[in-house]
Amino acid sequence: MRARALALSILSSVAVLTVGWQLGTQGQTSTAPDAAAPTTAGTATTAPITTTTPSGGSTPTPTPTDGGASAAAPTSDGVSGTFTGTSVQTRFGPVQVQITVANGSITDVTALQLTDKDQRSVSISNRAAPVLRQEVLAAQSANVQGVSGATYTSDGYLSSLQSALDQDGL
Amino acid sequence: MTLRTAPAGPARTRRTVDPIDRARRIRGRRRMRAADAMVALVWTSVAGAVALWLAYGGLNTVGDLGSALTAAGIVTGLVGTDLILVMLVLAARIPAIDRVVGQDTAMAFHRQLGKPALYLILAHGALLTVGYAAADGSNVVAETVSLFQGPDMALAYLGLGLLVAVVVTSVVAVRRRFSFEAWHLIHLLSYAAALVALPHQLSAAGVLAEGTVQRVYWIAMYVLAFGSIAVFRLAVPALRSARHSIRVAGVEQVAPGVVSIHLIGRELDRLQTAGGQYAIWRFWTGATWWHAHPISFSAVPTASSARLTVRDLGSGSAAISRVHPGTRVSIEGPYGVFTEAHRVAPKLAVVAAGIGITPIRSMLEHSALRPGEATVLLRASDPSQSYLWNEVGTLRSMQGNAVFSMIGPRPPGLVTWMSAEALAQGVTIATVFPELLASDLYVCGPPSWADLVIRDARAAGLPEAQIHVERFDR
Repeated sequence: MRARALALSILSSVAVLTVGWQLGTQGQTSTAPDAAAPTTAGTATTAPITTTTPSGGSTPTPTPTDGGASAAAPTSDGVSGTFTGTSVQTRFGPVQVQITVANGSITDVTALQLTDKDQRSVSISNRAAPVLRQEVLAAQSANVQGVSGATYTSDGYLSSLQSALDQDGL
Repeated sequence: MTLRTAPAGPARTRRTVDPIDRARRIRGRRRMRAADAMVALVWTSVAGAVALWLAYGGLNTVGDLGSALTAAGIVTGLVGTDLILVMLVLAARIPAIDRVVGQDTAMAFHRQLGKPALYLILAHGALLTVGYAAADGSNVVAETVSLFQGPDMALAYLGLGLLVAVVVTSVVAVRRRFSFEAWHLIHLLSYAAALVALPHQLSAAGVLAEGTVQRVYWIAMYVLAFGSIAVFRLAVPALRSARHSIRVAGVEQVAPGVVSIHLIGRELDRLQTAGGQYAIWRFWTGATWWHAHPISFSAVPTASSARLTVRDLGSGSAAISRVHPGTRVSIEGPYGVFTEAHRVAPKLAVVAAGIGITPIRSMLEHSALRPGEATVLLRASDPSQSYLWNEVGTLRSMQGNAVFSMIGPRPPGLVTWMSAEALAQGVTIATVFPELLASDLYVCGPPSWADLVIRDARAAGLPEAQIHVERFDR
């Protein structure tokens, strides 16, 4: 290769790589707050009762089966009902879970939406969801380890879960 | 007494540069620039493939060993596929590429990229399988089985298999075992390989997810590569063949095993063939239609006629010499940079051997040569090989220009392009062409012979830009 061709190749390649890198870091800073926001407990997104979700599409509207319980929040014992967490945006798609609470303890966690941006995300979600559900039911909180190799799914899952727990005052 | 001012030495004469030489040098520089830009474009597209992954935020996904392997797998896949698309563009015979560097050079680059592209794609599959297995905590076999579940992924594995077949059959040692047609048929599978890999790229790759700029860019690259193949290898040749409706007018025996094929057609001058170019011809008879031959024009086409001269080497070209008048002929081309337009120097030195005379003859015919500008050396191992020699001497452009001949076999045991007799007389490339360094050297003949001429020219100090070579034995 001639020197000029080499110089030209290096220059334009570096330019293209720099633009790509810049776009990559910009995209990251703009998505990060979305994913981080719901993890801080008691943010504005968690409304006291029911219609909490800025959800998209097929998400069923949250229906607390026991409206009285969530209205009378002070006693955490005896809270029952289903609570829907916020839809958490991740780079691989939104994640949203619904919990079923009976007498103040979590009896079930249902994933309404999991990371599904591509086939790989779907397979990761399918692997991570049952593990996360088991861990949450055992720990009775969002304070669990998460699944390695499914970091985004785990983070979204637990953030959404935490927002649901915040609603029922657990 | 007459007074004269003191002499200041001989007046400095400005060397006047011939306008033709000047134009030639400028054209040469422009071509060099274009060639450099093309090379840069190739490497920029590779950088572009990596940039797709960077723009996706790929760097942030790298944490542990598994994710690093996965990231490497994604990047190798992007770069490998980019190289395959570049290879398709190089093989598409795009006129701009042929004019600047020549299709031969483009194909040499195409061949160089073959193995690296395959290795990258193989690494892509291996790295992602290991990376996913590490992330999922499973093993490679289980991961492969699970990857096979998706229909897009199964297609991608098929594409990988095809790619291996294509590259393995193109490795020189293996390629010799196949006939050209069998090899070419397998080689066409590379289109299928690139196409069946597309679904998994669009569905499984987060980098190319729906609604991203990356996806648009990637599809545009595919359209560019396959579009240039469709246009320049299928549409343009088909239209050209239909438009000019070329037929065989007659076949003339020039020497044992050598024939000139006279063609007639409509508006053949509008092919804008430059002397020294070739085209890829297909003769539509039962015995020859399945085989396309690259054959040089042995004369510059007129509005209604063209002439090719060919020596029968393979079984296919022997059949060509028996085609009947009226046979339909289709054309791909003309192609080639073995033309007067690619000269850069003021003088012209020409060496032709055997049937290599054909492009030389039409190149000389097409050149506007001044007396004393050109020196031509015609080479043959015996007098029966002096095809078209009489025509070269009578060309109008050759008036006032020297034509030498060198007939006789090469000396046994010596690596030389000259005859034993010439060698004994002390002939060298410098004695034949005293102004070699100010000349463009045009060499045409069998590959190993032509390489020896070029070796001597380089040893004499001739710059690469002044060496023009066409290697063939047809």
